[in-house]
Amino acid sequence: MGQLVERTAGVGAGLATEDMILNIGPQHPSTHGVLRLRLVLDGERIVSAEPIVGYMHRGAEKLFEVRDYRQIIMLANRHDWLSAFCNELGVVLAAERMLGMELPVRASWARTMLAELNRVLNHLMFLGSYPLELGAITPIFYAFREREDLQKVMEEISGGRMHFMFNRVGGLKDDLPAGWLDRARRTIHAVRGRLADIENLIHGNEIFRARTEGVGVLTTEQIAAYGLSGPIARAGGVDFDLRRDEPYLAYGELGDVLRVVTRKAGDCFSRFDCLLEQTRVSLDLAEACADRLAALPQGPINLRLPKVLKVPEGETYAWTENPLGINGYYLVSRGEKTPWRLKLRSASFNNIQVLGELLPGHLVADMVAILGSMFFVVGDIDK
Amino acid sequence: MTTESEQQSEQQPQTGPASSDPQREPRASRDFPGMGLVKGLATTFKTMTKHAHTVQYPDQPPELPPRTRGVIALLEENCTVCMLCARECPDWCIYIDSHKETAPAPPGGGRERTRNVLDRFAIDFSLCMYCGICIEVCPFDALEWSPEFEYAEFDIKELLHEKDRLREWFWTVPAPVALDPGAPDPKEMAQAQKVADKRLTAQKAAEIVALADGGAAASGQPERSGPGRSGPAGGAEGDG
Repeated sequence: MGQLVERTAGVGAGLATEDMILNIGPQHPSTHGVLRLRLVLDGERIVSAEPIVGYMHRGAEKLFEVRDYRQIIMLANRHDWLSAFCNELGVVLAAERMLGMELPVRASWARTMLAELNRVLNHLMFLGSYPLELGAITPIFYAFREREDLQKVMEEISGGRMHFMFNRVGGLKDDLPAGWLDRARRTIHAVRGRLADIENLIHGNEIFRARTEGVGVLTTEQIAAYGLSGPIARAGGVDFDLRRDEPYLAYGELGDVLRVVTRKAGDCFSRFDCLLEQTRVSLDLAEACADRLAALPQGPINLRLPKVLKVPEGETYAWTENPLGINGYYLVSRGEKTPWRLKLRSASFNNIQVLGELLPGHLVADMVAILGSMFFVVGDIDK
Repeated sequence: MTTESEQQSEQQPQTGPASSDPQREPRASRDFPGMGLVKGLATTFKTMTKHAHTVQYPDQPPELPPRTRGVIALLEENCTVCMLCARECPDWCIYIDSHKETAPAPPGGGRERTRNVLDRFAIDFSLCMYCGICIEVCPFDALEWSPEFEYAEFDIKELLHEKDRLREWFWTVPAPVALDPGAPDPKEMAQAQKVADKRLTAQKAAEIVALADGGAAASGQPERSGPGRSGPAGGAEGDG
């Protein structure tokens, strides 16, 4: 950077000190990808921090402009790769809204179930990797074992373990396999039972608590100013969840099962706690959807599309409550088979901008705890 | 705000009794200091006594569901070189070459017929995003998914699979999965049902006609109530 940087030089007790500029990343075990943090340190204390993003920019929005609505789903899978199904949902919801399509009932419930299972997958990832960053090596194995069981369920229906490519404009690609609902229910039940293991391992652990309680406190003003969303915002007391406040898919009918998890403290521990509780709520939601799907009468899982799908002229903003936060697609169409502009509002991009304000004053060891508790995916930041 | 967190981070104990920190809320699990650590150790001990969940790959092959997107297979006989797969691929990783061949007019009369002949069909798996659009769009079921995944190479050029290699994958393609009972019946079922219904109604109509004839001739008929038992037959029974 060519700018002038103010650095403090101190001379005291015969020892000359100077601020140090330390780059965390872009490749670093605790940055969850290629996020670069430029820290100015006074000893161990952070004086200023600057997140530098863009190391994984793949030009997704430009690539969107030359692909039709089925090919876009392949791209949309990949920005927040841990919540691929929810990303796909935003795209198809935007297109369906412009086309004025009404989804078949089974499609709506199946999408809700798969979205909630995806949420559990996403949260389990962070429930495992956050303790790993703080030095607890075991929980990640437990979390990944649950993920494997759930990924097996997802692979059986969609064919993919991470990039599902299962949503289409008008519904889902294929119908549910025979017996899938029973297997899914059994897996949900098993995962719910073993979630207590992860909780016992790390939730009450004194060392974990010591490193996360009171560290990295976010105020509601900061959350509102930076546009934070998702579990990290709710852990800071901001009671906003799109599934309840602006229901889409079948969430409107799941009001009695959906519990919006909020915490007041806004520190690292409450963010982790929020995630753990949200996982339980999502498992309950998925089970409720499975019960409902089994009870629905026979019906199609998608709408028949024309050979060449053209979305009528106009614009719309479709936002969904992704596992990491609010993910929105602003679709501007000029009546062609490819969008004129598809802007992607990704959750992690806003979520990590607050680090510049949050980190100064903390120790470097706390920085690791705070960074891990922000729950971001670099692909989501950089698109 | 920074001073608050500074104070708190300085006050936090590294290990040891949790109850000494006045800012921490009392929790039920904090019966005695170190309870959280003990609980964690108990959990790992319990896991140690159970069978390991690990699958020892490659000695044990993984159990993959039929819809797994492992590799794309091609059956050349079904391909009419419509080029839909190459056009729809979002990565443009399918390379197709073809030419037209003209078959002479058949001896009985008629005109010459031209057909497409596939020269080259290659999929570059180093570019392929495994999205499945080519398989979805093929109108002739020439392309199918196979769960095979062990085709990693040392040289990236080897990841370009030509026609012959794609054909070999076809023998590993599993049968399509049976669908949930909530799924609509396939169109073939509806067609077969229509034919069966027609036959059944025709059969019933024939039965009724036979009964009507038989009822008019015989007397003292045993009680038989059948569907659509017509008036004259009942009248005959009453009179007879």
